[in-house]
Order: sequence, then structure tokens, then C-alpha cells
Amino acid sequence: MVADQPLWITFTFAFIVLNALLGAMAYMTWLERKVIALMQDRIGPNRTGPFGLLQPIADGIKLLGKEDLVPKFADKRIFVIAPLISFVTAPLAALVIPFGETVTVFGREVRLYVTDINVAVLYILAVGSVGVYGIILGGYASANRYSLLGALRSAAQVISYEIVLGMSLVGVFIVSGSLSLVTIMNNQRQPLELFGSGIEIPGWYIFYQPIGFVIFIVAAVAETNRAPFDLPEAETELISGFHTEYSGFRFSFYFLAEYISMIVISLLAATLFLGGILGPIADGVWWLVLKAMIFLFFYIWLRATLPRFRYDQLMGIAWKVLLPLALANILYTGLLRLRANGAISIWPFLIVSMGLVIVIIAGFLTTSSGRREERVA
Amino acid sequence: MSPEVLVFDILAIIAVMAGAGVVLARNPVHSAMALVVTFVNLAGIFVLLRAEFLAAVQIIVYTGAILVIVLFVIMLVDQDDLPEFHGGKPVQRVMGLLIGLMLLGEVAAAVLTRTVVGQPGPWTEEAVLAAGGNVQVLGQFMYSGWVLPVQTIAVVLLVGTIGALVLARPDASPATPRGRTTQTISLGHPRGADGELSLPLPKAGDMATPRRDPRGERRGGLVMVKDNESYSDVPAWDPDDGAGSGSERGWRGKGRRDE
Repeated sequence: MVADQPLWITFTFAFIVLNALLGAMAYMTWLERKVIALMQDRIGPNRTGPFGLLQPIADGIKLLGKEDLVPKFADKRIFVIAPLISFVTAPLAALVIPFGETVTVFGREVRLYVTDINVAVLYILAVGSVGVYGIILGGYASANRYSLLGALRSAAQVISYEIVLGMSLVGVFIVSGSLSLVTIMNNQRQPLELFGSGIEIPGWYIFYQPIGFVIFIVAAVAETNRAPFDLPEAETELISGFHTEYSGFRFSFYFLAEYISMIVISLLAATLFLGGILGPIADGVWWLVLKAMIFLFFYIWLRATLPRFRYDQLMGIAWKVLLPLALANILYTGLLRLRANGAISIWPFLIVSMGLVIVIIAGFLTTSSGRREERVA
Repeated sequence: MSPEVLVFDILAIIAVMAGAGVVLARNPVHSAMALVVTFVNLAGIFVLLRAEFLAAVQIIVYTGAILVIVLFVIMLVDQDDLPEFHGGKPVQRVMGLLIGLMLLGEVAAAVLTRTVVGQPGPWTEEAVLAAGGNVQVLGQFMYSGWVLPVQTIAVVLLVGTIGALVLARPDASPATPRGRTTQTISLGHPRGADGELSLPLPKAGDMATPRRDPRGERRGGLVMVKDNESYSDVPAWDPDDGAGSGSERGWRGKGRRDE
């Protein structure tokens, strides 16, 4: 927020972050292919360089060399702009993620985050919501029914899951009392004592907000259009959906954007719920990278394991399961906060908690029975 | 000129130009895109005014949710079915101009009375910082003194949503005899349709003639690899005549079985 260091240092650091993201993205594709190959009892890329390590570079060169096609009936201006919207907005969210505190380089204090705005998490959500336009407009401008369907699916999906994503984070905001990622990370330094037993575990928000964490992870997978929620680009039903008509480097912009937003959302999850750079022995960016890698591996694992959802199931999960759960989580977190502050006594707290549990169970029973009737009909 | 003023000028000029683009664009999707640009630039101006929360909410709510839904609707409707985009009777044009002028007058009045001759309010920069920041002040205001208005707005929106749902429900009684029925595009239903719309019967062979969009370009025509005669009359999976439902004829009956 406060400009306590020269602007050129901030810009240099932002440049380093963005390039590191691009590099990480390239090797994310390599990792994904290797891990999926492992899970499917194959070898994976192994021709280019040791362990196929040069494969991403070869892919990049190949994509650059492809012909750049624009369909005849396409809305040309929008067709050209759309992939750029996706690609430009994807890495922007990384600018507020703290990669550390400060380090001294050549006798100068340098912050290891580009900026610390007081609405960092909302900023990430906002940037993500602009990124949807890349997909919607790409699908629209292609003048292709499949692309249009992919774009519409994506619009509906991203709106629904963005609400869920935002709601799942409200609990974290209540616990930490801040929207700034640096403050949220620093608030997790306080260790958590398990029920007064003297055993201390890290004060990461995953232990305060387990439900919020699960909802966040599910919504994050959907928000990045990854399997099993990759309905917008379902290759078997929509011949790749919104990017059917894209080729060459315009296609790779979408590809880059998808992987970069995966990495960014993993970094965000690690910072919000797993303490970011905080770790057992020495705090540092390596912990953040390790935690983000766990999420990224989880993404790949999901893709290798789960079949794609049906569209009505996808929407049903968002609106009938995750959103009510997230709202209940907010209510309960608020209650806990009031209880911890001593603002309410124990009996109202217990009664309202029981009521919440009953409402949730009743809700799940009714929706599942409704689904059964549908199947009979 | 200080850098802040320069940035404001750039943002304001782009916002006004994009606003003009919303009105002037020929294509509704281009209008919506111009509106996105306007919103993003407005958010930039909010950031300059130290209202980061407002900027983020502006983008999330207007750009990320409302306009996406508007685009959703525009894209679901075939553009050939839209009424003339820049049409309208003279009365409508005059009324539109009048209402626009009234809005402009209101904004001007607000600006003149508040920022030019009015006094600054109690929330100076120091007061906001003392209370912990923008977000904190806004939260305390909205959820203490203004809780009733906020809740009222929520209820009004809910009523509006339910009202829209009731109005949009398809009529249960089949009032009109059906011509060709097309189906609304369903994103989820396995059989591809949520309900039916009735449209006039198409003329034979109109699938092969390209329609024209408002810009006068050919689009949407069916590209025929073979000519009509070289197709067999009866497809292998449908030994019967075309006596199926209307929607089936809509998909495959045109141009070849009519001959």
C-alpha cells in the first residue's frame, strides 16, 4: 500500500514473478504429462532432453510455427482480442501473493510481494471474473455452435462457482479480520492449541476453516475449468468447446492462461489456508512452493482419476450443495467468533449450532430424495 | 500535471469513449464489450480515489456477474431474431434523449452541490485511517446503522428474482397450434432441450440459403459438400417417413425429404 520502496524495484520484482510463473507453467505441462503417464502405466514425454525436460520448449516452438487461422465468419476483432484477455488477466492475481517478508539485496530492503492492497482477495476474485470474458468472447466470436455452447457453459459455470469461491473465503475473513493477503498470512503465525491440551499445531486456517477449505478447493477446480469440471472444453462432447476454432499461438494463449490460473489459485490456497511461506523449520518461499505443488499434484490426480460431471450435476453441486454449505459455514464462523469474544452465552450458541446441523442434514435428505424421483420418472 | 491527474485523465477519456461505444456499436456484443471497458476504467478511477473496495466490488459485481449474464442472453438469442438495433420510433428517440439529459442534469447537480460548493464530510482520510481503513468503515456502517436498508434491498432483489421466474415460466396450456417447434438451447439436459418455442414453419430448403446478419455479411449458411440429390432419401436409422415430431423434422427433414 504505502510506497516505501522505489517503483523500479517493485517493477523488477513483478517482472521476476511473472516470468517465474511462465516458467513454472511450462514445466507444469511437463509435470502433468509425466504424472498422468505414471498413473496410466505409460512413460510420458521422454524424447526431448533428459526425462523429456525440453518438451515444453519444443511444444512452444511448435505452437509458434503453426498457421494462425481466423474463421471466415468470425467476428474478427473480438476473435483476436479474446485469448489476450484470458492470458493477460491470469497472472495478474499473482501480484498480491506474498512470497516472503523482506530480504536485503545489495544493502537494500526489498519486499517479497509486489503490492499489499487492503482488498487483495477481492482483487484476485475481480481479476478472475474479468478473465471469463476471454472464454465467453472467444466462443462467441468463433461463429461455431460448439464454441458458443462451450462459452455459454463456461459463463454459467464460472458465475456459479465464483459465488461459491467468494463465500468459502468469508470464513477466513471473519477469522483473520482482514482482506489483505499479507495480514492473513501473518495472522497464521499464532500457533493453535488443541482443546487446551497443550499440544500445539500450526495456526493455519485450514484448521479453523476445514469446511471452507474443502469448498474452496472444489470451487477452485471448477473456476479454472479443470477436470472433472472441464465442461466448457469437453473434448468428447464439444470438440474442445470455446477454443475449437483457435490455432497456433492464439490457442496457446488459452492454454497458458489455464495453467497459470491453476498455479495462481494453488498459491492462493496455500497462502490462505496453509500458512503460505510459514513452515516448521525456516520460513521461506520454499514452503509456499511445496504447498502449491501439493495442490497442483492434486489437480493432476483429479484429472487422471475422475470422469467429467454431467452439466446438471455440475450446477446442482454449486447451487444445492456448496453454496448452502458455505453460507452455513459463514453463519457458524460468525457464531464462533461471537462466542470467543464472549458476546453470547453458551446456550444460544449450542441451540443455534444444533439448528444449523439439523437444517443441513434435512437439506441433504430432501435434495437426494428429489434426485431419486427424477431418476424414476 | 501530477501523475495522478494524468492517470485520471487517461482513465476518464477511455471511459467516456467506451461509453459512447456502448451506444454507437452496431453489434450488441460489441456494445457489451464497450461497457466492460467503461466499468474497468471506472474501477481504476475508484482506485485513484482510494476506494479500493468499491473498485473490486464494481468489477466483481458489474463486470463479472451482471454483464456476463447480459452477454449470456445476447448470445442465446439468434441475432437475426433481434429487433433492429438502432431502430425505434421518433417518440422513443426523443424520450431517450430527454431521459439522458435528465440523468446528466442530476449528475451535474450532485457534482455542483457536493464537490464544488459543498463542505467535505466527516470522513476525511485521517478519520478513515483511524477507524482501520475503508473496508472496516464500510463494514461498520453497513452492518450497524444501515442494516435495515441493506436487508430491504436484499428482500426487494429476492422478490424481483421470484417475479422474473414466475413471468418467465412457460404457459402450461398449449394455446396456439404448433408450427415448427424449435427448442431452447439447453446446456445441461441430456436430450438437449428444456422446453419448446413455437416458430413459423420454414420454407423448404432454407437451411441451404445463408441468412444475412445486420452487418450484411453472409453467415450461418450450410456448406454442402454434395448436392441435395446425391443424398439417399431414407437414412438408415430412420426407415419411416418424416412423420415424427416437429422437432425431428426441424433437424433432418429439410431440403431432401421434401423433394
